[in-house]
Amino acid sequence: MFRFIAFRILQFPLILAIIYVGTFLLCWVAPGDPFQRTERPLPPQVAESLRRQYHAETWYGFLVYYPIKMIQGDFGPSFNFPGRSVGQIIKDTLPVSATVGLIAMLIAVIVGTFIGTLAAVYRSRAPDWISLTVALVGVSLPSFVVAALLRALFAFEWDWFPVGSWTWSPKEMVLPAVALSLLPMAYVARLTRVSMIDTLSSDYIRTARAKGVGRLKVIFKHALRNAVLPVLSYIGPATAITMTGSFVVETVFQLPGMGDFFVRSVEARDQTMILGVVMIYSSMLLALNLLTDIGYTFVDPRISVS
Amino acid sequence: MTTQSDIPAVDHLWRRMLANRRVLFGGIMLLVVVGLCVATVPWTLFHSESRYHFDYQDDMLPAIAPGWQVHSDPLDQTSPLVDSRAYIFGTDKLGRSILGRCLMGGTISLAVGIAAAMISVLLGVTVGMLAGYRGGWVDALLMRFVDIMYGLPYVLLVILFKIAFEPFLERALGTKASANIVTMFVAIGLVSWLTMARVVRGQVLSIRSQPYIEACRAMGLPQTRIFLRHILPNLVGVVIVYATLTVPVAILQESFLSFLGIGVAAPMPSWGSLAAEGVSQAFQPYRSSWWMLAFPCIFLGVTLLCLNFVGDGLRDIFDPKREAAKI
Amino acid sequence: MKLSRLILATFFTVGWASITLRAADKADFIFVNRGDIGTLDPNRMSWMQDIRIGYALWEGLYALDPDTLDPIPGAAEKIEQSEDNLTYTFHLRENGRWSNGDPVTVDNFIFAWKRMLEEPGDYTYLLFYIKGARAYSEAFEKDPKSAKWENVSVRAPDPRTLIVTLDNPTPFFPDICAFPPMFPLNQKTLEKFKHFDQATGRTTYDAAFATPPNLVTNGPFMLTRWQLKVGQTLTKNPYYWDKQHVVSNTIESLVFDDPLLALQRYERGDVDWLAETSGDIAAQLRDAGRKDVRIFPSFGTYFYSFNCQPTLPGGRKNPFADMRVRQALTMAIDKRPIVRNVTKLGEEITSLYVPPTFPTYKRPTGLAYDVAKSKQLLADAGYPDGKGFPTLKLIFNTEFNDHKLIAEIMSRQWKQKLNINIELDGLEIKQFQTRLHGKDYDIARASWYGDYNDVSTFTDKYRSDSLNNDSGWINADYDKLLDQALKETDAQKRLDLLSKAEQILVTEVPILPLYHYVNKYVMRDNVKGIPLNPRNMVVFKKVTAGR
Repeated sequence: MFRFIAFRILQFPLILAIIYVGTFLLCWVAPGDPFQRTERPLPPQVAESLRRQYHAETWYGFLVYYPIKMIQGDFGPSFNFPGRSVGQIIKDTLPVSATVGLIAMLIAVIVGTFIGTLAAVYRSRAPDWISLTVALVGVSLPSFVVAALLRALFAFEWDWFPVGSWTWSPKEMVLPAVALSLLPMAYVARLTRVSMIDTLSSDYIRTARAKGVGRLKVIFKHALRNAVLPVLSYIGPATAITMTGSFVVETVFQLPGMGDFFVRSVEARDQTMILGVVMIYSSMLLALNLLTDIGYTFVDPRISVS
Repeated sequence: MTTQSDIPAVDHLWRRMLANRRVLFGGIMLLVVVGLCVATVPWTLFHSESRYHFDYQDDMLPAIAPGWQVHSDPLDQTSPLVDSRAYIFGTDKLGRSILGRCLMGGTISLAVGIAAAMISVLLGVTVGMLAGYRGGWVDALLMRFVDIMYGLPYVLLVILFKIAFEPFLERALGTKASANIVTMFVAIGLVSWLTMARVVRGQVLSIRSQPYIEACRAMGLPQTRIFLRHILPNLVGVVIVYATLTVPVAILQESFLSFLGIGVAAPMPSWGSLAAEGVSQAFQPYRSSWWMLAFPCIFLGVTLLCLNFVGDGLRDIFDPKREAAKI
Repeated sequence: MKLSRLILATFFTVGWASITLRAADKADFIFVNRGDIGTLDPNRMSWMQDIRIGYALWEGLYALDPDTLDPIPGAAEKIEQSEDNLTYTFHLRENGRWSNGDPVTVDNFIFAWKRMLEEPGDYTYLLFYIKGARAYSEAFEKDPKSAKWENVSVRAPDPRTLIVTLDNPTPFFPDICAFPPMFPLNQKTLEKFKHFDQATGRTTYDAAFATPPNLVTNGPFMLTRWQLKVGQTLTKNPYYWDKQHVVSNTIESLVFDDPLLALQRYERGDVDWLAETSGDIAAQLRDAGRKDVRIFPSFGTYFYSFNCQPTLPGGRKNPFADMRVRQALTMAIDKRPIVRNVTKLGEEITSLYVPPTFPTYKRPTGLAYDVAKSKQLLADAGYPDGKGFPTLKLIFNTEFNDHKLIAEIMSRQWKQKLNINIELDGLEIKQFQTRLHGKDYDIARASWYGDYNDVSTFTDKYRSDSLNNDSGWINADYDKLLDQALKETDAQKRLDLLSKAEQILVTEVPILPLYHYVNKYVMRDNVKGIPLNPRNMVVFKKVTAGR
């Protein structure tokens, strides 16, 4: 077990290095000058001076220089927001995205599992249809439409939840978290449904029922425990993705989160920002994947991590 | 427990699909939508003087609400009526028929979805089979590659790929419109094959360890024959299911790109770009042009819902053991 | 209400009761800026929203009059101009103070200007009107050690006197002195952010100096809070020399990327002024008879640019090299649908380039909408009824939907009226900028906002040697007229020369002018101190919400 974890952790730097180089190359082939921040073209001399300030005169220079700084914890100044360092931006925005993302995942897992179980138990009957259709709305409409609808109804029309301010109050997190939870919820519901159907048809459940164990008790105590396994492997990476923020939700609800910054930095070719965010994102993904694998062994002792 | 005998015979499959209400309902609705979009292409795409044409602009009819009667001058109730069937879903800001644009947009969106599914089948199945069947270092290498691709945020991949390669393609293909659509196909296809590769690999691994494959080996059958006759057919179900589920994801990804302003090139519409335009118009404080959002979203929502129904239903059908489950 | 309670109860059973909303103490004036601040380092400030905050925090040698935005003495209390308009002598105020109490001295200006020339940014070129500044900047870029600062005509005979000599009589120099690139910096407070590279002889400063609590400024306000993507708080500078005339004690600037969201906050009463809103919203508020939406001319023009080089990218034959083709395409466009259906705000459709905001400037005559003449011109150029005209591409940036809609109207009209095919090529902004500035296009969407209050900020763009001239149009007469204007000391004669130059431009049409921009404010009636000025700038000194 420990050997396995140690081995996986030792792999991290290698994988991160490859992701770094990949991202870097993508940034570099994409046309567009990150220093060109207004409609006016920059005089070549100014562009040169700025490039020097970012150690980006040559691509190989930057490729080598930046990781060294990054390891020292200095992500450098942002190209597009020169007044802020990338480290500062991430430090300010990641907690926001992570909080909202975690709440969203919580909603997704609780509601999704519930819907999936309901659908499996009442398979091919009305509750199955209704609950799955509800869950699928999240993956059948673009997120910007769903988020805008939520905002129009609950914030603009009825004024139940404040939007567009950020004071870390739970009331502000409700709408973004719900909007963000719809996509993972649909996946969790479907995965639970399929694996629940499998589990419910297995012999030990039938035996339990035959022995007179109550229906609800069988479903929630015996079946669900096994049925969540495939869900678990989805939750890991999905949490990493949700926690690093979504451009759409953050734009619609004006959250000071990281997802919005990331997409803008891609648009602005803000290389330090892109690289910084990708590294954070990949590290979180790797860590959560590892946690998922470890979590597996606890839920189901039959599975060995190696 | 998949064995060769478990693969349902073809007629059996059909019967089951018809019996599965989810697939039946979803399939019929899908056929209707696809049929509508494709059958109207002569008017929406080619006949540029038709009011249904996706770029037919009537300067006098900007943002007209849906209705049966449309006056040629919307402010003057005595002006003559124009051919209003085209405007039954209303018009957009430039006086173009929402109906025509929805139908044309559907063709584009579905094409994006299908192309992405095809790319993901091609790449995903190849990589997945190679990894699962060859095993060893090939497997390790390919799967680490898949892991890394998962590690890169797909927004970055799609945006940068699109930006970096569209100019090249434009030079190769000659026209902007075709280059734009092909890049869109490839960019979205490139990020959607990863799941397929993982699933196929898993399936191959489990089939490979089945007793009947070992029996084949023991009988001295050639590798290619084992592969083609005994492994490949067992993958069909899983591949069809995931391909069906890739289509809606790809269509949504296109809509996200449209939201960012880098989707299908104007004036060509897609459901995503229509919805993105509609979303900015529908929630205005005094004059809501709700029809610019509602109709594209109904088309999009119904299609995606049906695709998901069909995909989920097919998954049930290809996995016969699940039939029995009732509690 | 019941449902909301239910949802809340489900999601936040734990902790809901314990956390109560912090009652925020409301600032004296709250407005929504155009977007998030990029930087407050005067060297790199280039976005509208940065500059707007900059005016509240700093004061140049000249400041802008809060009502008229004309330059008035700022950090300098007395300014002498030489007879030939070439030399300015600034006498600094005795009571000028930084927000940490330090006196404002001539060194602060020299330090900031020197730094600007050594580590240049978007607006460094505005300093090049000073004699020797451009040469110094270029020399420093080549070799920092051999560049001679003494060659720049900035002299300080004593700590409160600054003498600046210019190359040419530049009537708008006072205006430039009020602009962010000329702001002073307190070098003492920058010391701890300094990195000096021994090997190259270059000095750089960590961007953290321009964030609170490090930023020290000399204007009416100081920066006390800067929350990323949320907003900034400006607090009255207790050491400001004219603090008794600063009306509001605190000003809050908010960031909203979505104009609908900003409007909602305004309607709720949380905000006093929206510095910008979308065309759709402004049009609807106006049509609903709301008096709090103010639509007034802006300092910019929206136009299309033709590539006028001998050949198009890829060595293709360029029909636009022929002036008649450009004129034909210009005269074929009916611009009314654009302002009626797309921008909707009654923008002035135009055949001219310079916006109508200079009262003493005589506006030339442009090409009117005339389809028959346009067809004739195209036939004369060898393309009767569009025959033989190549399929060309129109590039535009896609992050604003209006650009797309306008492009769709244009291409449709050219097809209908001239039977020529112009394909649309929507590009993501960075790609668009690269193609436009690299003259790698056939037709491009473009626009221009003036930097300083003078016609030359527009006309200079199309000089043949200008970096901003991305049409590739070269006209010796045009250049000559601008050169004459540069040396001209009489204000009216100078404007007439520029007017003649613009006449050439709008006759030869390297650009196809469409309309002049408007500014759109949503502002409560009791708000005072925000002038409706085309240049869209505000000096926050007199601003009050009147609550």
